[in-house]
Amino acid sequence: MSFLKVEGLTKRFGGLVAVNGVSFAVNQGEILSVIGPNGAGKSTLFKLIGSFMTPSAGRVLLDGAVISGLSPHKVARTGVVRTFQETTVFKEMTALQNVVVAHQLGHSAGPVGAFFASPAARADDRRSQENAEEILTYLGLGHVRNELARNLPHGYLRTLGIAIAMAASPRILLLDEPFAGMNPEETDRAVDMVEGIRRRGITVLLVEHDMRAVMRISDRIVVISFGSKIAEGTPAEIRDNPTVIEAYLGQDDETIGH
Amino acid sequence: MEQILVNGAILSANYALIALGITLIFGIMNVLNFAHGQMFMIGGLIVYTVCVVFKLPYAVGLLSAAVAVGLIGMLLERTLFQRVMRISSREENTMLLAVGTALLLENIALYVFGEKQRGIPPMVSGVYRLGSAFLPANRLLVFAISLALIAAVLLFVNFTRQGRAMRALAQDRTATMLMGVDVNRISMLGFGLGAALAGIAGGLLISVSGVNAGIGTAISTKAFIMIMIGGAGVIGGALLGAVALGFAEAIGYALFPGSVTYLLIFTALILFLLIRPQGIMGKPWG
Amino acid sequence: MATSTEAAGTIGATSPGSRKALIAILPLAILLYAVVPFILRGQPYWLNVMTNAAILSFGSLGVWVTFAIGRVNIAQGAFALLGGYTTAILSTVFGLSFWLCLPLSGVVAALVGTLIGWPLLRLRGIYFAMVTLSLTEAMRLLFLNTVTLHDGGGVLNIPRPAGIDTPLDFYLFAATLLLVGYLAVWRLAGSRIGWVFRSMRQNEELAMSIGINVARYRVFAFAFCSAMGGMAGASFASLQQNIYPATYTVTDSINFMLYCFLGGLDFVLGPIVGTFGLIIAFELLRSIQEYQALLYGALMILVMLFLPNGVLSLPSILGRFWRSGR
Repeated sequence: MSFLKVEGLTKRFGGLVAVNGVSFAVNQGEILSVIGPNGAGKSTLFKLIGSFMTPSAGRVLLDGAVISGLSPHKVARTGVVRTFQETTVFKEMTALQNVVVAHQLGHSAGPVGAFFASPAARADDRRSQENAEEILTYLGLGHVRNELARNLPHGYLRTLGIAIAMAASPRILLLDEPFAGMNPEETDRAVDMVEGIRRRGITVLLVEHDMRAVMRISDRIVVISFGSKIAEGTPAEIRDNPTVIEAYLGQDDETIGH
Repeated sequence: MEQILVNGAILSANYALIALGITLIFGIMNVLNFAHGQMFMIGGLIVYTVCVVFKLPYAVGLLSAAVAVGLIGMLLERTLFQRVMRISSREENTMLLAVGTALLLENIALYVFGEKQRGIPPMVSGVYRLGSAFLPANRLLVFAISLALIAAVLLFVNFTRQGRAMRALAQDRTATMLMGVDVNRISMLGFGLGAALAGIAGGLLISVSGVNAGIGTAISTKAFIMIMIGGAGVIGGALLGAVALGFAEAIGYALFPGSVTYLLIFTALILFLLIRPQGIMGKPWG
Repeated sequence: MATSTEAAGTIGATSPGSRKALIAILPLAILLYAVVPFILRGQPYWLNVMTNAAILSFGSLGVWVTFAIGRVNIAQGAFALLGGYTTAILSTVFGLSFWLCLPLSGVVAALVGTLIGWPLLRLRGIYFAMVTLSLTEAMRLLFLNTVTLHDGGGVLNIPRPAGIDTPLDFYLFAATLLLVGYLAVWRLAGSRIGWVFRSMRQNEELAMSIGINVARYRVFAFAFCSAMGGMAGASFASLQQNIYPATYTVTDSINFMLYCFLGGLDFVLGPIVGTFGLIIAFELLRSIQEYQALLYGALMILVMLFLPNGVLSLPSILGRFWRSGR
């Protein structure tokens, strides 16, 4: 059963076609990775799916409803939440406050209720607090929850970014290069974390360059090269796919993951 | 009709000096020089002092204005801005400091010169005719000097080492530092140059329409309008903005009574910004 | 008394009637209602100064809210002028009571703020600052050219509010206005809305990605600010009993911004401390007549150099200093 559908997504920048008629579907509960060599257009594709960019053609559907072209905050409200590549957090708040703030979408009381601290608003705040504590603990950040985000080490900031996204009640989480720049030990932990996210019932679509981690964690993989989809399938199918190998030719052996 | 063109051209040239000055400062230091109008005013009043009080030639007056206001700019940058930029957490702090310097300069000027409008007699007399337009020789001289200075600035920024360093600094501060450029010194020079341009513009204008110690805010506002139209931090944008404002004023004052002109200019500006908020040549970051 | 709002613990879990609100407002209330009238009870001039300061603080509180969403707002003078003229015209031409004009001025200012703010709030940094500065000028020119009741675009003989006759009366009204404004902004800052503002100020893109309708919240903050500006202008118009296009200039807009800064942007109390501080300082310097404005400007620069986070950051600076010295 397809949950998120990408249909003929295209993006042109002047004469350059960054994404060219890409189509694929993500099933509920699966972990799907979009990979491709550098400059393949993964970043642009990612931004298009999260509606941080409008497509030149094509569309994105969630549960049959079109979400492409909606403003980013509306897309988040449908349950499609993205993370950011740089360590993007609210630097002047504590880790806990970061995650509590992100729990906007779980609120039942409106702004007026929030201003006058109605019982519904206070219940909301309590729930946000509990929710945030739970997420932080789950991701291993419980012990730094009262630290100011700008004082946290780089690796924690990445995880905090994911905690923030998780607090926004996502049905599907778009992860932007979650394994970038990680050593093997960090990658292991990150792989466990992504698995943990799936276990909580959140579908995961991730864009990544590091093939090794992707092979371990994905249910299915979509390969992009020069803006077009060149392959789709299980990790085993992709690993032996000659088109894929050729696309990555000229990259390090390390990247290909053999 | 020709009169409007003549007036527009003269105004544009003079305003271009103002716009170039504030653009240089903003480009290099990312600071909006709120005191730009006050520097313009001080330049004019220095020319008055040198030419009318000390009875020295106009060229001496202009040079003094340029040097004095330039030095003021460098001093402000070195002692105040560099420190505040180092120690503040918010970027608004430098804006506020700029506002503070504007207040300080204006009040010092008021104290020294008083509130009276000052003017200087024209350096050259006579009027030329250009078609149906009148072109006082004095204004023609101001126009010529302005153009010469604009050309000089453009040459400086594009072909000298310091000028190129300033442009590099405007584009990428970190990279410029890594290339071994003394960023602090170039910033100071840049601020000084921008200030000097404002001072010269004031020195030129005082021979045309007079200057008083209170016009600082009005001139700063014009500077802001120009960079809003043309785009902040871009030299081409500064020139475009100057031409736009110069001609808008010339046309406006010819067709409408006094204050209506600027009401129309502001309305048009706001409508323009709704469509293109970063100005004609500005970077789309806003 | 300082209410630090960043990193201040649990979000939103307070209510206006609760103890925290009382603790926040009590010291200010005591100062305004008891201390000031007691000290100044026989001096109408100083009572007027305090009245001015209170009304200006109210306007600065509005600007504080726009700082909270990460915008430098130099348009408060425009909205004060708008509110002032609204009250002036409604009370002189239509005979409406001031107590009706006051909220109406707020509403008109808020509506105009919403209209103008919706497209312009997309701008940030100096662009937004410059546009708002232009707004102040534009508003002055608008009234100069459209209000034809008297030569020069002014409105005269604006009636005092019913029931307010003495300087003390007016001071108490201004103090009450300020207190209500402070409570409202304090509550806003501590509620979920305030935290949304904070998130928008620190990273707009991230805020959008978690479902916050950034555009709408921005406009709300700006409209809230404008309403406060409008009501401040309305109050002044009634106090001075006249209003002119030049009653609020760019300098006034800049002052509103300045007061917030000098008090300290991290604290809701900042604008109040900044306004009262500067105005009292200005008055005290009056005796040094000639150098008054000069010292005023120098004072501002000194604060910028040595207290860039405002006067209210002094306790935490001293605290750190004290601790590191032991």
